[in-house]
Amino acid sequence: MTNYKGDFLDLLKAHDCQIQLNPSSTSVSGSTHHFEETEGTTVVAVRYKEGVIVAGDRRATAGTSVIYDRAEKLLRIDEYSVLAIAGSPAMAYEMARALEHSFQYFRRSQLQELSLEGKLRMLSRLIRENLPMTLQGIGGVIPIFALYDLQSDNDNGGKIFFYDALGAHFESADFATSGSGSVWIRGVLYYQNRWGETQLANMDEQEATITILRLLDAASEYDAATSGYNPKSNIFPTVKTITKDGIQDISDEQLGEIYTQFIETTHAR
Amino acid sequence: MLDEPYRWLEAISNRRDYIEDQLRGGSPVVGLKYDDGMLLLTIGRGSRKIFEVHDRVALSAIGHPADIERLRMMATDTASVQGFQNSVDDVTLHRLTNFVLGPTIKQAFEAIFGSAYIIKMLLVELDVRGEDHQLITLNYDGTGRANHRAEVIGGTDEAETGMQKYLSAADTSELSLIAALQLALETWTVGWELSLQQTEGALAELEEQENTRSEATIDPERLHEVLRNELKEGEIEAGVLQASRRSNSKFRLLTSEEIHAAIVDWL
Repeated sequence: MTNYKGDFLDLLKAHDCQIQLNPSSTSVSGSTHHFEETEGTTVVAVRYKEGVIVAGDRRATAGTSVIYDRAEKLLRIDEYSVLAIAGSPAMAYEMARALEHSFQYFRRSQLQELSLEGKLRMLSRLIRENLPMTLQGIGGVIPIFALYDLQSDNDNGGKIFFYDALGAHFESADFATSGSGSVWIRGVLYYQNRWGETQLANMDEQEATITILRLLDAASEYDAATSGYNPKSNIFPTVKTITKDGIQDISDEQLGEIYTQFIETTHAR
Repeated sequence: MLDEPYRWLEAISNRRDYIEDQLRGGSPVVGLKYDDGMLLLTIGRGSRKIFEVHDRVALSAIGHPADIERLRMMATDTASVQGFQNSVDDVTLHRLTNFVLGPTIKQAFEAIFGSAYIIKMLLVELDVRGEDHQLITLNYDGTGRANHRAEVIGGTDEAETGMQKYLSAADTSELSLIAALQLALETWTVGWELSLQQTEGALAELEEQENTRSEATIDPERLHEVLRNELKEGEIEAGVLQASRRSNSKFRLLTSEEIHAAIVDWL
């Protein structure tokens, strides 16, 4: 069957290939209180001078156990957008994969890029289809969608969107946080943006990186499910910038220097 | 009546003649390996002819626009579903042409009560390691050719033979993008002229020139004239599968500035 609408989810259904969201409620109901979901996260996105900077910790937990300390929570969707995931990794990874393939399929089949509004609605639809898992408390995903909009009228096309569990999306002018550690840093961000020496939107890349790493460090101090820098294994949080030139990873070497100069030393005082 | 073998063969032969007649005026397409991937080039008049299929696969075609669109979508749909269901690494040109497009085209061609695809396709696949690029052509009857360095499709067999001879005589190793664009344009011109002329003499003349291929094989002034004339109404369309591209998707259409840089001295 040929799909002329460019809708990837419809194409999958036409080929009897369903993504693993929205399983039947009977298959997972009943004994959820015995199930310890892998979750626990802090992801944060900040709009700075050149675009958006996004960071995520690396820890995955189930209950009180640390399951994995190198989890990747910033998922590149296309050349200018990143999904920062919080919640169930199984659902979040599947959602990100479906999103990435959806954008690509639209471009390849319709010979044009999917609009920004189209991209936001696609993510809304995936979150909404995941609602049964969210309601049962074992598969919720509350992501941040950060991107650079090349069509923006502003000099800075960086945009940050956050979602609720039903799929509604909201644009944040300055910053967004998600995950179990986010409550500890949201107020700090507000304070920094309102009364700090430099407003978030006026920070250069280094200032923004230092700020975002300090925020993750603060979150890891209060939230057991969020990791900070792990010196034993030399594991750093993941940090990416999204600018008009695309997505850039901030390397471990760069992060190491910033930790040495601006995070660990301050902490030791 | 058509269950008699002779009638069936006659019907197929008529169909072959009809399709070849329809394809005769098609603008050739040239596929070439260059130092950073694969190039597809043609000259068109409005409708786009070079398409991204998947991360490392692209196609171009000549023929009826509706048939090109149907098979392009079939290739895109199949690649997209397979890439999602398994892995993008499992989407290969070999699988697309041998298991999907080839059988579909052949079946339509031989089902003489239905409509055949009026099409010739050229598909290319990038090997990111740069070792095993693929170029595969598919004819309207489902047959095709495979190559690793260069391949062409044209409106007639003579045009294709002429272009292949021209390419085989050229040095196609380690071409820069600009050199690949220039060689592809020269090759396109050879094919276009042969498609238009359709005389036995044209091919014979080309074969005669082959042994002494040099700048004299195609008179530069004549090449410029053909290009200038064609570009009054036509437009060069070129796309690459670029190994060094940072994105997972290696395809991009070349900008008019990039194309202009290759032909600026010719205009």
